[in-house]
Amino acid sequence: MAENNVDYSAKIRGVVAQDLLSGRIDLLLGWEKGHYWWQSRPLFARDQADLERLAWDSFCAVNLSRYLVDELKENKKVGVLLKGCDARALNRLVQDNMVPRERVIAYGLPCPGMLNYAALLEAAAGRKPDGIAEENGQVTVRGGGVELTVPRDRVLLDKCRHCLYPNPVHCDQLLLTPVGERQAPERFSAVQERESLSSDARFAYWEKQLERCLRCYACRQACPYCSCRECFVEQEQPRWLSKASQPSENFMFHLIRAYHGAGRCIDCGECQRACPVGIPLQELNRKLIKDINELYGHYEAGLDPGQEPPLLTYRPDDPAAFSEK
Amino acid sequence: MSLAQNRPKTEAATAGMEAAAQDRAWEPLIVAFCCNWCSYAGGDLAGTSRMQYPSNIKVIRVPCSSRMNPLFILRAFQRGADGVLVAGCHPGDCHYSTGNYLVRRRLSAFKRLIEFAGLEPERFEVRWISSSEGDKFSEVMREMTAAIKALGPNGKLRDGRWRKIT
Repeated sequence: MAENNVDYSAKIRGVVAQDLLSGRIDLLLGWEKGHYWWQSRPLFARDQADLERLAWDSFCAVNLSRYLVDELKENKKVGVLLKGCDARALNRLVQDNMVPRERVIAYGLPCPGMLNYAALLEAAAGRKPDGIAEENGQVTVRGGGVELTVPRDRVLLDKCRHCLYPNPVHCDQLLLTPVGERQAPERFSAVQERESLSSDARFAYWEKQLERCLRCYACRQACPYCSCRECFVEQEQPRWLSKASQPSENFMFHLIRAYHGAGRCIDCGECQRACPVGIPLQELNRKLIKDINELYGHYEAGLDPGQEPPLLTYRPDDPAAFSEK
Repeated sequence: MSLAQNRPKTEAATAGMEAAAQDRAWEPLIVAFCCNWCSYAGGDLAGTSRMQYPSNIKVIRVPCSSRMNPLFILRAFQRGADGVLVAGCHPGDCHYSTGNYLVRRRLSAFKRLIEFAGLEPERFEVRWISSSEGDKFSEVMREMTAAIKALGPNGKLRDGRWRKIT
């Protein structure tokens, strides 16, 4: 790992250790290194020994806000490390009354974007990488006795490429220096490309994509807007989905999953990152964001918990996507 | 059941039945979710006024158009519907004051989403029909049936285990 990441980890550890050991928080949600060097998994730290494992590097993609819903059942007060997208996810959960904000201490970590192992493999050009070093927006991939340097942008996770808010909003304490503002990237281009196709071509595209779905529901588990205590996919009465892998049921699951996030999705891309078979789930979410913005005015979910989501309100003179004559 | 019905069909008989099935013109199945207070009453008015509308429409009464769960719509398509219509009170006339204002936003988003997934726009419609508009009720039903007939049977979003597409 890069030197500066070690420094950052120590700095973060120093701040959160004070709060955790003094009893201000009962639990800290952070990241630790996983089995492989390119994995950082969630860390549930309760004492000094746990904190030693705390890591902050370029693989901390997992959204920790999602764990608050469960952890707050057993802990009075929880501290959580939040990247830009995670902070908006926290706002989402607060707005849904799933997380009482006063029982959370949010430590903000400005995020330069997380790296994608698949892209690193590609950058290593056939060799198995065994580590990376980062400097000035460049990533050096080491592997098989060779070092290859690529621009950081090229090996970013898909979800980080279109990130507009790398600095956490509404956090209690900002632990590192904010990263610079991003340029507004065009995030709807894939959606527009799909829209330009005919109905049949679009259906064929989605049929092909969704046929891979295993219905493991990883997209739902990773998602900050999917916080229902009982999800429709597991409901017994009425039974909406069976256990069979059927094209129509895959459609039903994905359309309704995306639709439940209409006007609520913060576009963090965790669903797509969590998907083991690489279904472009963000396209469905972004389609809804794009349409709702077009029809009912621009709305950025998760930025301001005080602002009402567009589908929970109305104006008498609203336009409609169907004929109203 | 008589023995004759249990007996395996001869080849000639099977061929005859297939020919008969092909002769029989395909008729679309359209599910119309009508709000209890306006559109369902509008349908009643169309009936009591002896107005004609196609029998392809199967009406399901819902307490308000905002009762519509998008799962109902997808379920209808899964189980054999060729078109789905949601009909409610005109905006501003909702029995519950705001139901149809809210559903206008929700179903607009949902309509565009299922079109994005590849469904033809004509297959899912939303219309406002008041209880005094029996003529509009029958006209909407005729229009919708004609549009779906022109499109042909729907195979998209259909559950393969449920009904074979003819």
